[in-house]
Amino acid sequence: MNPIETNDLTKYYSGGKVQALEGVNLQVGGAQIFSLLGPNGAGKTTLMKILLGVCFPTRGSARILGKEISSHWSHSRVGYLAENHRFPDFLNAWQVLYYYGKMSGVDSVTLKERIPRLLDQVKLENWEKERIKKFSKGMLQRLGIAQALINDPDILFLDEPTDGIDPIGRREVRDLLLTLKNQGKTIFLNSHLLSEVERVSDEVAILKNGRLIQKGRVEEFIAVKDTYEIKIPGAAEDLFPFCQQLNIELHQKNGKYLIEVDDAQHLNHFIDRLREKDMIIQAIIPHKITLEDFFIEVIEEKEGNSN
Amino acid sequence: MKLLAIIQLTFRESWAKKTFVAFFGLSTLVCLLFIFALNLDIVDGLKSSVSLFGKEIPELVEIRELVLGIESALAVFLFTGGLFMSLFATSGLITSFLRSGNIELIISKPLSRFQILLGRYLGAVSIVAFNVFYLVLFSWLILSIKTGIWNWGFLLSGIMIVLTFAILYALMTFLSVVINSAAFSLMITYAILFFSPLLLQRDRIYALLSGKIYGVLLDGLYYFLPKTTELADITRLLVQGSAVTSWMALWSSILFGIFMFGVSSYIFSRKNF
Repeated sequence: MNPIETNDLTKYYSGGKVQALEGVNLQVGGAQIFSLLGPNGAGKTTLMKILLGVCFPTRGSARILGKEISSHWSHSRVGYLAENHRFPDFLNAWQVLYYYGKMSGVDSVTLKERIPRLLDQVKLENWEKERIKKFSKGMLQRLGIAQALINDPDILFLDEPTDGIDPIGRREVRDLLLTLKNQGKTIFLNSHLLSEVERVSDEVAILKNGRLIQKGRVEEFIAVKDTYEIKIPGAAEDLFPFCQQLNIELHQKNGKYLIEVDDAQHLNHFIDRLREKDMIIQAIIPHKITLEDFFIEVIEEKEGNSN
Repeated sequence: MKLLAIIQLTFRESWAKKTFVAFFGLSTLVCLLFIFALNLDIVDGLKSSVSLFGKEIPELVEIRELVLGIESALAVFLFTGGLFMSLFATSGLITSFLRSGNIELIISKPLSRFQILLGRYLGAVSIVAFNVFYLVLFSWLILSIKTGIWNWGFLLSGIMIVLTFAILYALMTFLSVVINSAAFSLMITYAILFFSPLLLQRDRIYALLSGKIYGVLLDGLYYFLPKTTELADITRLLVQGSAVTSWMALWSSILFGIFMFGVSSYIFSRKNF
């Protein structure tokens, strides 16, 4: 059983005029970081909201940890950080975690033990008695993450968790997510920061106009088969005629030299010939594109198809 | 426990917005007035003199009548002024709860939407109940200790006031859920509150209008809407220890409150955020 499963999930707004989601079938496995990508208005937040019962699907169904999302009991083992969340500003950090923990069904004794630990984890230990109206956006975001963890959930839904957080804070959040994954938690992430997503995610799905257009492992998306980046000092332009002789395609892209080979044997043959010519090889690295490149490629391809 | 957390959070919000403090301060002021303004000298178990705000009360006025009079006045003041203030002070509690960014987090908790709305509703009713009973109980104690007349009926006025508030707040909850505007919800609730005496006089209004339909319409409104004027009368009669001839106004108003909260819960449970 997958922790998150959706079946033909569809959502229309304004009496059917606005299509937010269309027939989304998604399975998210356990103990991983899963990221949902898509341009603005693709339906990412709507999908997350439907899974959490914040809004209702027009059609289809979904299950969280085996429980139908129509039941509020499906939220028992779930933590959620909403995009642009707002806590009551008359509370301090400790009180926010206390009341939201109580609403999650955590008892007072556990909360008193857990709150200081979580505040420490999100680097707010010195701010626990401070009213949150004095907090910066980044601090509120970190408090939001602590709030999402207050019931020690099995699944964590985070909508733009690093929004407003500085680079150091982002790295801390990233480390925290990886720690949580290692603890066996499933993290469902919505983020526009593709470089962040690429660093932490195991699996991604891309939504466009409410439709699921791609889903798979990150490494599958960013690795380019049989393409290698080659680093050779000095006159690299000599490489072009050399590669032509070997029937190897050589491209220069963003200051990098990329070779396309048929297979590993072909690559080794190329290396042997280079060495025969006493050329110094600094590095041969399997070529990878960034998740951002892949994302733009997929979105543009789909736009091309739809045009 | 989860429901209690919402009620506690509502209390805290009221405290932070100074609503609770204002209520509590005003109630304390009224109690202090009774402590210091009402002077009563009892000699050998009989009153020798009674003064209120330093003014001697004539011997003709029986002490029991005086106590009932003060308690009735206080009950009526609380019923009208207290309800008016309570509705004003709690008008924003539902809409602030429904604010985008806040409600999503609450809904994602393992609570049913009915529990969420009920928790907020009970939180608001509890704030008013706490303050009303604080004032009623302490002023009753002060008056009873000073005069030796223990009018238990006065305590019932607290129940009636809180019950009336709960009925009107159910309407305000409905309006807040539907239109999500505290000011508009308050205006409509005030209109219903002050519409009640008019509807009580519907026979006179009907006499001015032609057409049977107006009579049916006015009767329909009268029986459907909360009957605050009659509820105030019932409160006064309970304080004075007089017999209440009809409880229809009470039970029909309670039914209105239950209906309004039921509809609010239904709409809230189907609402997209």
